[in-house]
Amino acid sequence: MTAIAWMWRTTLGAMLWEIWGRHSGKFGLQAAALAAGLFCVHCKQHGASEVLGAVLLLVSWCCFITAYLQLLMCCAYVELDAGKAKVGYPGRLLLKPVSTARLVLTPMVFGGVITSPILLVWSEFVLKPLGPFPPFDSVWALMMLLSFFWWMQAVTWSLPLLQTRSLILIVVAVVHLLVAILPVMPIHPSPAMQWAMAAAMLVSAVPVAWMGLSLMRQGSWEGTVLVFKPWSENRLAGLWIRRKRFGSAFGAQFWLEWRRLGLALPSIAVASILAILLIGAVVKRLAGAAPPPEALLSIMVLVPLAIGGAMGQGMANFDLANASLTLPVFISVRPMTNGGFIMAKLAMALATSVLTWLLMAVGAVCFLALLSKGSLPSNPNLAAAGGPMAWVVGFGLVFIFLVLVTWKNLVGGMAAGLTGRRWILTAVSLTKLALLLCVFSLVFWAKVDDSFRSRLLPWLTPILAACLTAKVAVSIAGFTLGLRRNTTTVAAIAWMVGGWLACGLFVSGYAALACIALHHPELWLWLVLGAFLQFPLADLAVSPLALAWNRHR
Amino acid sequence: MKFPSPSSAEAVIAVSGLSRRFGTRAALDDVSVFVPRGSVLGLVGENGAGKTTLIKHLLGSLKAQAGSVRVFGLDPVGDPVGVLGRLGYLSERRDLPGWMRVNEFMRYTQAFYPAWDESYAAQLLEQFQLDPTQKIKTLSQGQQAKIGLLTSLAYRPELLILDEPSSGLDPVVRRDILEAIIRMVAEEGRTVVFSSHLLDEVERVADHLVMLQRGRVILNGKTEEVRRGHILAVLAFAEPRSGAPILAGAHAVAGYGSEWRVLFGGSRLDLEAAAAGIGARVVEERTPTLDEIMVARAGGKGS
Repeated sequence: MTAIAWMWRTTLGAMLWEIWGRHSGKFGLQAAALAAGLFCVHCKQHGASEVLGAVLLLVSWCCFITAYLQLLMCCAYVELDAGKAKVGYPGRLLLKPVSTARLVLTPMVFGGVITSPILLVWSEFVLKPLGPFPPFDSVWALMMLLSFFWWMQAVTWSLPLLQTRSLILIVVAVVHLLVAILPVMPIHPSPAMQWAMAAAMLVSAVPVAWMGLSLMRQGSWEGTVLVFKPWSENRLAGLWIRRKRFGSAFGAQFWLEWRRLGLALPSIAVASILAILLIGAVVKRLAGAAPPPEALLSIMVLVPLAIGGAMGQGMANFDLANASLTLPVFISVRPMTNGGFIMAKLAMALATSVLTWLLMAVGAVCFLALLSKGSLPSNPNLAAAGGPMAWVVGFGLVFIFLVLVTWKNLVGGMAAGLTGRRWILTAVSLTKLALLLCVFSLVFWAKVDDSFRSRLLPWLTPILAACLTAKVAVSIAGFTLGLRRNTTTVAAIAWMVGGWLACGLFVSGYAALACIALHHPELWLWLVLGAFLQFPLADLAVSPLALAWNRHR
Repeated sequence: MKFPSPSSAEAVIAVSGLSRRFGTRAALDDVSVFVPRGSVLGLVGENGAGKTTLIKHLLGSLKAQAGSVRVFGLDPVGDPVGVLGRLGYLSERRDLPGWMRVNEFMRYTQAFYPAWDESYAAQLLEQFQLDPTQKIKTLSQGQQAKIGLLTSLAYRPELLILDEPSSGLDPVVRRDILEAIIRMVAEEGRTVVFSSHLLDEVERVADHLVMLQRGRVILNGKTEEVRRGHILAVLAFAEPRSGAPILAGAHAVAGYGSEWRVLFGGSRLDLEAAAAGIGARVVEERTPTLDEIMVARAGGKGS
């Protein structure tokens, strides 16, 4: 018997074969992405123009990020349970006569062995030659990526039933990002300390995964936070139990949506506020001065907007515990129009946006009071001509603007997911990515090439107007078809159109103020057209039809 | 006896010429079923026969590719609110929101049905011995079936559709569920569509029967008439036979030598005539159970 044949007959070999066998086709895509990256390097080194070089850089980084995310999925060793209800460690393996240490280490080490050389090849042969590459050591970057991979495995395996697992994964990612950029921060620990921190982070993922899996194997853990369970069951949860009747079916559906996803974004907002306050305090202690308030406030503003965009696809899913996009039976048999279900989602998204920005406003005030000592309002560059009243009005306008943009990010991409078809979701996501790349490339090109910019600008207004016309036409068709097929109501349409007009008009007014303040009145029309384009209408118009397609297959 | 014709105004469910394909496989093929008000229809057939597909058409979860589906005279796809507001449904898949508590799920469901009877819901809650503060994900399979049934019954729907309600449940829970259904039918005269492959349940509850096989209706009539339309008999031959005899009207033939057991579809006179035609005589006969009929008709000649 050859050594290889013998190895395949061992439990280790069987586990490795399963990982390889399930994803071997996807490893081919890894090779394709790497080949695309190497081709970009080849083009860059053989006299590509500045504009083309920038596009090649963008394409390479997109390929790298896609390849890394796919590697995570292939090597993570997670799967849906039989009821397709939870993603976690393959349950059948917990019953095999194999030690927990081996169950934990096999996929972790295998994943490390597969991903490390691939990531090193990417950084040394693609990303660095294309430049600019963050001033990290390749091994440092690799260690951080590997550590995140292992922590992702540990969290996913140990907490299969915890509804806030995604939030924990985001926190893990943010912590890794913060540690990863330590070497390039103006104030940072010594290199030895940095490497020790990174090694500790990497290695500590193993006992966490081992502990979670051990407890699960013994049946004393179901992936929920056991320590807090008695407390939450008796106290916290008591606050959430719905004790009164709902006033209407819409109220019940809104409540369901709120309980499902309503607190996710506000929780992230609170976490980011605390993290920023903590970082600010640490930096202030180490450096003797607080970090610039503008930078930290910008981060505070960007976090909910970015997370809201990322959560947008989850808005379409009616049951987060179920990875399938099909409508759960208990929802699909309720006597409610598809438009009614959509309206509950829209209302919940608005409520969660308002709560998030109220919390962020409180956080900003705390930050300014505790760390900035009022330096921002007293900054002469930011002093408003109208005095304190202008600050209040300005703050109110910014608040409404941020709420609307967050709401738009949450609901803008819902229709594709509502169809319940994964292939449509993938196709729409790829199309949006391609469009985004095109727009970025055009903007970049216009920025570096004056002649292109002067040729593009006269066409901008007609292009935006044509896009808006197309959007309105699609919306009218969607609403008409929705009414004809009885998937929505006139009231729902009135709310959707009214909301879109209100958002667009608000941003138009806001843009007018901004254009006057910035002395660029010529930008106003573009901003107005852009605002009406950005706020969802066609997406909302086709949402009831998309849901009907999912509900009545 | 067949169900009323499509013209009957009393038909709660009227399915006519319904066909449905999934890829190349025909899940339903020209199915016509009419269910009169106040009847209990047992929908039976082997796994993959098309029972759940038919039920999904009644709920509007699937759109008819050919033929028509009317529930209360309405199209369940075109008017889901009109249809779903008047029916209760218990799914084979306990697809319930595990994070909700029992009382929360009850209140959530109540909001959709103005006719929700709170005292009746409380009575069912007590009868099923469910803890209202317990989370659904911590309930056993049987308890999940009970909360599903409770939320389907509490608004006293005109039509109750049960898709394999006792699938995977122990006999005690099955009995509880059946008794709740029987009481509802007996006291209120509601219409029930009841899919199962536990035929003793169907025999006990259903007054009408539709048997599906590979997407086609192979039996359709009153339960007792379906049973009496079949005979389970033992045929004796003068000489031992090496192969199974071919008997016109027999759905299954099994045995060896000179004695063969047949499940025959037809009257006693037809059976005797057919047996005489192949040189055999009937030495024993009885009315078969639904189980025996289904095994014979769905399982082919060998048994």
